Amino acid sequence: MPHECTNCGRTFPDGSKKMLSGCPDCGGNKFQFSPARSASSESATLDGPQAGSETGDPSAAGEVPPGGASTERVDGSSASRRDDGVTGGPEGSDRDDSESSESVREWVSRKADQNDHRVDTSDFAEWPDSARRPEDRASADGDSDPDRSTTRAKMVDDENSAQADARTSVVSDGLPTGTVEGTTDAARTDDDPASADEDDYPPEHGRVVSEPTGDRPSIDELRAELNEQFESIKIVRPGEYELNLMELYNREEYIISLQEDGRYVIDVPDSWRESDN
Amino acid sequence: MGLLTSIRTSITDVTDRLFSDGEPKRIGIYGPPNAGKTTLSNRIARDWTGDAIGPESHIPHETRRARRKENVEIKRNGNTVTIDIVDTPGVTTKVDYQEFLEFDIEEEDAIRRSREATEGVAEAMHWLREDIDGVIYVLDSAEDPFTQVNTMLIGIIESRDIPVLIFANKIDLEDSSVQRISNAFPQHETVPLSALEGKNMDEVYDKIAEYFG
Repeated sequence: MPHECTNCGRTFPDGSKKMLSGCPDCGGNKFQFSPARSASSESATLDGPQAGSETGDPSAAGEVPPGGASTERVDGSSASRRDDGVTGGPEGSDRDDSESSESVREWVSRKADQNDHRVDTSDFAEWPDSARRPEDRASADGDSDPDRSTTRAKMVDDENSAQADARTSVVSDGLPTGTVEGTTDAARTDDDPASADEDDYPPEHGRVVSEPTGDRPSIDELRAELNEQFESIKIVRPGEYELNLMELYNREEYIISLQEDGRYVIDVPDSWRESDN
Repeated sequence: MGLLTSIRTSITDVTDRLFSDGEPKRIGIYGPPNAGKTTLSNRIARDWTGDAIGPESHIPHETRRARRKENVEIKRNGNTVTIDIVDTPGVTTKVDYQEFLEFDIEEEDAIRRSREATEGVAEAMHWLREDIDGVIYVLDSAEDPFTQVNTMLIGIIESRDIPVLIFANKIDLEDSSVQRISNAFPQHETVPLSALEGKNMDEVYDKIAEYFG
């Protein structure tokens, strides 16, 4: 028979309405469907009527061993869960529902995790040395968001939470550490300071190019360095100088001697010519 | 002393300009430190006047003030070309006293040399702007000519539109490569020589007479 009460073993033919409100014998509401055995049962029925086939005696099925049901389950749920859940009554029904929905949640969570992993690995197949790899980011998430696992356990609608979690995990990976950047370092150096503030927000189609390093100078430092380079002579320290040849060539006055405090002694040729006249 | 000498030199230059048009052309001998500029200047001065211009040394920035030898008459093919030779300090974008410490110079003296060398670069650039009619650019042919200083200085000289000759010095060295210099500055004529050993000086004087006569 295709349907068998998992509690008492009574079998029902396919399409039977006797099992709609539970097993008439024991009240159990868990049934297993086994078309292979039903075929053999039907063939046996064709060969000859089997006494007790409607009596609910599991042994009446003949070739089917009592424990064979667990090996023939095709509904995807585990045998152990089915065995544990066979209690009969309304409580068993509720528990069965919760268990089936839990399996859906787990499936969604798995899919979310798989999606998360897929995005990390396929979209960023080539990882720059300075970028964090997915496994590192996963561990960082665990450290940075300890409430996530408890929140996930408490969420009633875990399918939505799993999807939301998958989305936020991708975004939040970049936000606190600034790893999401839409431009290269070379382009950033010429940007205004205002653009540096914009980098705090991930671009719509940005991707992780590189992670800022601690030794990269700020925009202000770069600007100050540029300004300093326009000086004719920069005194790095006593005895160490940097010279801007173009500036030295272009200036009207003639630097005769240097002072360590950064002052020059200069000669203005035009003034000498005027005084000479 | 150096300051007073420089002021006197400037006054002399001004008076020379005011009262003597058609005076000998001032040929500046430029290049990076340790290229052999003073050795070349002394070689030319000795060959045609019997006097040297300044002390030579293997220590970089030995020449920290521009020195001039006036009225050097070079005779070529029956003609006489009269020039003033200005030996300039080596031009660089960075001077560090620590490079002098390698030559057993005391730190205090090294710092002073470094400051004077920096002043010398400023003076060399000033001369290039104000007082130079032609340039002999001296390079160590055993060194890489593709440097920021060389590129910048050659560019400045070209912007002045004054005649320039490039001398590939130190051809006596094993690592010398005149071709490397020719490739670096193909727009200018490169003359190989060894100022120290006096190699190829005939061609040097021919080119000086041709370019600055």
